[in-house]
Amino acid sequence: MLASVVSATLLGVEGHLVTVEVHVSPGLPSYTVVGLPDTAVRESRERVRAAVLSSGLVFPQHRITVNLAPGAVRKHGAGLDLAVALGILVATDALPADVLEGTAVLGELGLDGTVRGVPGMLALVDSLARRGVERVIVPASDAAEAALVHGVHVRAAEHLGALRDCCKGEAPWPDWDPLPAPRPDEDDDVDLGEVRGLPWARRALEAAAAGGHHVLFSGPPGAGKTMLARRLATILPAPDPAEALEVTRIHSAAGHAPVGGLARRRPFRAPHHTASVPALVGGGSGRPTPGEVTLAHRGALFLDELGEFHPGALDALRQPLEERAVRIARQAVSVTFPADFQLVACTNPCPCGLGPPWCGCSELQRARYRRRLSAPLLDRFDLRVAVRPPEPGAPTGESSAVVRERVAAAFARQADRYRHRAWCRNAHVPAGALSEMVPLHGDAAEAWLTECDVRRLTGRGAARVRRVARTLADLDDVAEVAAAHVALASMLREDVP
Amino acid sequence: MSAPGRAALRDDHVAAVALAGLDSLGARRLRVLVDHFGTPSRALRAVEQRRARAVLATTFGPNHRHLLDPLCARWAAEVDVGTTGALLEARGAHVWLDGEPEFPIGEPVPELPVCLLAEGDRPAALHAPRVAIVGTRSATPHGLADARELAGTLVDAGVTVVSGLALGIDGAAHAGAVAAGGCTVGVVATGLDVEYPRRHRTLYRDVRAHGLVLGETGYGIGPVPWRFPVRNRIIAALADIVVVVEATLTGGARITAEHAVRYDRAVFAVPGSRRNAASAGTNALIADGAYPLTEWSDVLVALGMTPGSRRAAPARVAPEGDGRRVLDALGGEPASPEQLAARTGLGPEVVALTVAVLERTGWVTWSQGLVWPQ
Repeated sequence: MLASVVSATLLGVEGHLVTVEVHVSPGLPSYTVVGLPDTAVRESRERVRAAVLSSGLVFPQHRITVNLAPGAVRKHGAGLDLAVALGILVATDALPADVLEGTAVLGELGLDGTVRGVPGMLALVDSLARRGVERVIVPASDAAEAALVHGVHVRAAEHLGALRDCCKGEAPWPDWDPLPAPRPDEDDDVDLGEVRGLPWARRALEAAAAGGHHVLFSGPPGAGKTMLARRLATILPAPDPAEALEVTRIHSAAGHAPVGGLARRRPFRAPHHTASVPALVGGGSGRPTPGEVTLAHRGALFLDELGEFHPGALDALRQPLEERAVRIARQAVSVTFPADFQLVACTNPCPCGLGPPWCGCSELQRARYRRRLSAPLLDRFDLRVAVRPPEPGAPTGESSAVVRERVAAAFARQADRYRHRAWCRNAHVPAGALSEMVPLHGDAAEAWLTECDVRRLTGRGAARVRRVARTLADLDDVAEVAAAHVALASMLREDVP
Repeated sequence: MSAPGRAALRDDHVAAVALAGLDSLGARRLRVLVDHFGTPSRALRAVEQRRARAVLATTFGPNHRHLLDPLCARWAAEVDVGTTGALLEARGAHVWLDGEPEFPIGEPVPELPVCLLAEGDRPAALHAPRVAIVGTRSATPHGLADARELAGTLVDAGVTVVSGLALGIDGAAHAGAVAAGGCTVGVVATGLDVEYPRRHRTLYRDVRAHGLVLGETGYGIGPVPWRFPVRNRIIAALADIVVVVEATLTGGARITAEHAVRYDRAVFAVPGSRRNAASAGTNALIADGAYPLTEWSDVLVALGMTPGSRRAAPARVAPEGDGRRVLDALGGEPASPEQLAARTGLGPEVVALTVAVLERTGWVTWSQGLVWPQ
């Protein structure tokens, strides 16, 4: 009379294991769901009932109590339908109890008994796998996505009636379709080799990609800032398998089903400048949803026309930039979204766009325009570069593939250096660990002290110059930071816009 | 505030300042009033008793005629000799009326101010030869350095530097004079109790300590756009020579230069590159007949002074190797690091290091995304 089925629900971008307990006891026919269900979960009762009856099975005319444990976690969506239905079948002895041993069940039910897909399947199955679940029964449409998780045996379900037969061993488990092939992306066609001139800005972009530094390009319209920034995605090396799973999981939880397997490139998010605070950092009423900073996790967030963004939205970026995570607190829940992204931004230096010394704007106009970007935000850019239009006939530079190779080598150097540390990129080295991890000797130390003095660098600014110098040395594939690296790092941190 | 050597204030002084502190009663209307009624005190009584209407009617164009009556009413209500007198005493201000022997503008020029008031610790600044250094607010690092250097050279020779306390060239000129310990006079378009632009609050304090802040406007008048070009004529009239360091084609510095020409003052302009928008005004002035200023001591010669032996330039070692190549690539004009890399064929790191070394030894500065030769 009692059945217990394992399932999962999404909270933020993480799955949480939910145990669905079904108790069927004699009494007046009733159906109660307890354990913090949301409306979609509570409505499961009508779907489950119709689906069971449509599948030619018997729906018990008894007192049914469904409990969703743990009781403190709010359950969302219709993904628990199938687990409830199977629980009822087990509790009424329509299914033997042992067939669901060690198996988790996920899926939404249609009124005719069809098993429908659930968003965030990868995150759900991944969380179940980490809790030791070995088998999962998932909707056939999501089976390929679920199978991306290693160490879990996936079984597909198309229809409740057929699923019962499969569970009892009376029918073979159905096969499932592979993931849709990736559509050719428009970004596939772009290449750094198309960019003419701009050797310094290219250098800054390469350093940003290699060390995970935030970079700001400032320049007149048409100088090529946006063109250059968009090509950051093409010089970032592919994510390693763990990162790929993480990225795919987050995007799946946000409702973007994976195509062609795990992510093979790092995300590159480019929200329009009308983006609101919740759209950028995540949030929303009731159930917090991830924002652009989380969707850009392990990749890059590109903000074109930085000065046009809502000042509140930009300042909301400061905490995730520093902590590489966003904590969204609501009355009922508090969710932490990962947000390890690098920021690449473009801006005009002033309203007319030309910048000093050719600018025609008044001092007041310039000051007002500058005020739109708060000093604390500007301070968080390790690299700030003025982009000037290339001279006509400037040669095109290296292609993305060539640069990507150097960036990948710099990644490897950093991974080796920081292998026993909590961070893996130069940009993330804490200020306290800089003297140990990025020692400066001889000329380099002297150059660093001079730059600090001449540019009146703050403590934070000096640390940023040091990190970028380390990245430049990594790109040159040398063990020691040289004075030239320090000088260039300081020069790539201009006082713009 | 102590006021060394300050003459006692008379009723006429206080009356003139009280009138000059009325909103919309500018230099021209004050001149009309005082000329008609004879003395500032009588003009003040006329304003108080609302007898000034007919006299002032000519100063209102047909489009502003309707403002005359409300303004006369407001002035009669607002003009306050008691408060003005107390303020002048408390702040230790100097007031000079046109025609007095102490009046800082010695010879009669057109549009002579009725009164000038000044505050500061060194009224003697007005007894030295005076050179105005003016220019654009959006100056380049070159222009700022020129203004500072020129001001320093002039005050070393005992000249007082006059300017307008604005951002850019004006501020650099005052700062250069202050840094060299010389005298400087800041001519402002606001009341002396208003400090505008606010970014120059420290500079105001320095100028008061090293000379005077001077104006024709009474207390309480804030920054009003039309008062700034009107103020420029005082800069031109106070100075024996006007030097324009950097100016745009349409800026206030050109207005000062035009006043200077009308007042028969010599005008010098520092020539600049055709590529520099901030040099367009000075180059145009030179085309119109201003003296091109390439050697600071020329100003002293023009003042009839003998330029002292030029201070030995700080010894700096001529750079060699990459430093030489970068300096040659600059060719005396600002250039972006990309251009330097392209012209010298050096890599970004080498250019950066070379520029850093050149900057440390004083050959270039790195600012606004450009490398500027010094």
